[in-house]
Amino acid sequence: MNTALSTQGLTKRYGGRVVVDSLDLEVPAGVVAGFIGPNGAGKTTTMAMLLGLVRPTAGTGSVLGSSVADPASYLARVGALIETPAFWPGLTGRENLRVLATLGGHDPRRIPELIELVGLAGRGGDKFGQYSLGMKQRLGIAAALLGDPELLVLDEPTNGLDPAGINEMRRFILELADGRRTMLVSSHILSELEHVADWLIVIDDGALLYQGPAEGFLRRVPTVVALAPEHAGDLDRLAAVVRADGHEPRRDDAELTVPVDERDAKAVAAALNKAAVEHGIVLTELHTRRPSLESQYLAAIGGER
Amino acid sequence: MIAAFRAELVKVLRRRVLVITAVTTAVFAAGSAAVVLAAAEPAGARPSDRGITVASLSGAGGGTEVFTTAVSFAGTFLFVVFVGVVAVEFSRGTFRTMLMYQPRRLRLLAGKTVALLAFAAAVLAVTEVLTWTAADLLAPTQDVSTGRWLSADAVGQAAADYGSVLFWITGYAVLGTTLAVLVRSVPVALAIGIAWAGPFEHLLQDAWDPAGRFFPGLLLEAFVAGGTSEVDATRAFVTVAVYVTLAAAVAGTVFARRDVTA
Repeated sequence: MNTALSTQGLTKRYGGRVVVDSLDLEVPAGVVAGFIGPNGAGKTTTMAMLLGLVRPTAGTGSVLGSSVADPASYLARVGALIETPAFWPGLTGRENLRVLATLGGHDPRRIPELIELVGLAGRGGDKFGQYSLGMKQRLGIAAALLGDPELLVLDEPTNGLDPAGINEMRRFILELADGRRTMLVSSHILSELEHVADWLIVIDDGALLYQGPAEGFLRRVPTVVALAPEHAGDLDRLAAVVRADGHEPRRDDAELTVPVDERDAKAVAAALNKAAVEHGIVLTELHTRRPSLESQYLAAIGGER
Repeated sequence: MIAAFRAELVKVLRRRVLVITAVTTAVFAAGSAAVVLAAAEPAGARPSDRGITVASLSGAGGGTEVFTTAVSFAGTFLFVVFVGVVAVEFSRGTFRTMLMYQPRRLRLLAGKTVALLAFAAAVLAVTEVLTWTAADLLAPTQDVSTGRWLSADAVGQAAADYGSVLFWITGYAVLGTTLAVLVRSVPVALAIGIAWAGPFEHLLQDAWDPAGRFFPGLLLEAFVAGGTSEVDATRAFVTVAVYVTLAAAVAGTVFARRDVTA
């Protein structure tokens, strides 16, 4: 497995407060890695250390094969949007990109193409200070793409966007994730990442809770078939019917949940429906509940806060 | 450093900035030439505090004496401009953005400072020419003779005056940049900068005469004025050079080592 970035014992302390706690990360090349954790979990600080903005207190790491101690050796191949997009408000979008292209030694001839790509065509000549938050985020993405980077690091890219903007950003991430480029995308809004990330890193209080394929994280809680009888008094009888069909139900308020293999969910639901009817139990609810990233995440960080 | 230098020039060399600078420079040159000429003591009178007399202005260096005298009043303003221009990059988060394109921090800071100084040097050169021209036009109204203003001595004096002002502005630029790097907040940096370069050093000087030999703002003023009763120009130059070197070292070290979190 080619690794785009890795860390060993990466730690950041501010005084006595540990913000990032001995993180061992490994992100394969070519994946879209979702970096999730609650606010204040240490996501931005970790990214800042990978980008050379913040000096680690301890630990080592490498990005695109070079040590994080020498960010100049790899940052030309990395594009990043960290925290809020910070540009010069008196300069136009195009001028802002020109400053950064000049600074990074990137080809400024790509600027019109990038402005078009992020949907700012026609507004590239407007001052950055006049942009909406969504337009600022898009300009931030265009800036991150100036060097056609191998690794794209996006910190909360949908912060402050409206639902249409969030949807557009999600589509955009999928477009950019062409398998050639590695992406590390942080968010605390899990629905953003659920459909785009194929690799997940979950942290809380600066410590790693999970890293690996997104499917692996989702499989940690099984798919269940949920059944609810018309009368609550039938729950015990329904449980007996479910057991008789070879399953171990779990009672949850006025419903039963039955863990099943994802592939068998439909067949099990049909069989349980048939058995319930045969025993004179009317079901008002029967559905398959697949684990969501959010439910998995909440389970991982120890419940809703 | 060259990339940082060129990137800074992209920001500075925009039509709007150039037009505003050109208009400000022209107004400053004409206004200051009029004020300095009007303030010159007539022949036979006791020289003013700055030693400007009709006789001194009628010398070979008279044309550029108007320039150095006028510019020396703008010291606090220039200091504050440098403080603001650098501190705002921290408070706006644009240093964070720039560091992702130029992670070699010393090169970034040096390139930015040198670019701003290069721009200031160009503006100063234009200011010197415009001030000279305005003074040349206004001189007859104050009975100042301009016959020697185009002599070989005058050209040499003009170059020397330009060099002095350039050193003076470099001092303010480096001290202002250092304050901005240390404080990072525009309002706090400006408050400290204005208070220090404005009233603080001058009040101190009023209370304690030798202050003029030790404090950077007073030394810069003394240098550009060609020396004062407290400190001669050479000593002022050397002391300021030491301050500037120390300030650059402090700014470079802090900027290179400190986390960029904003």
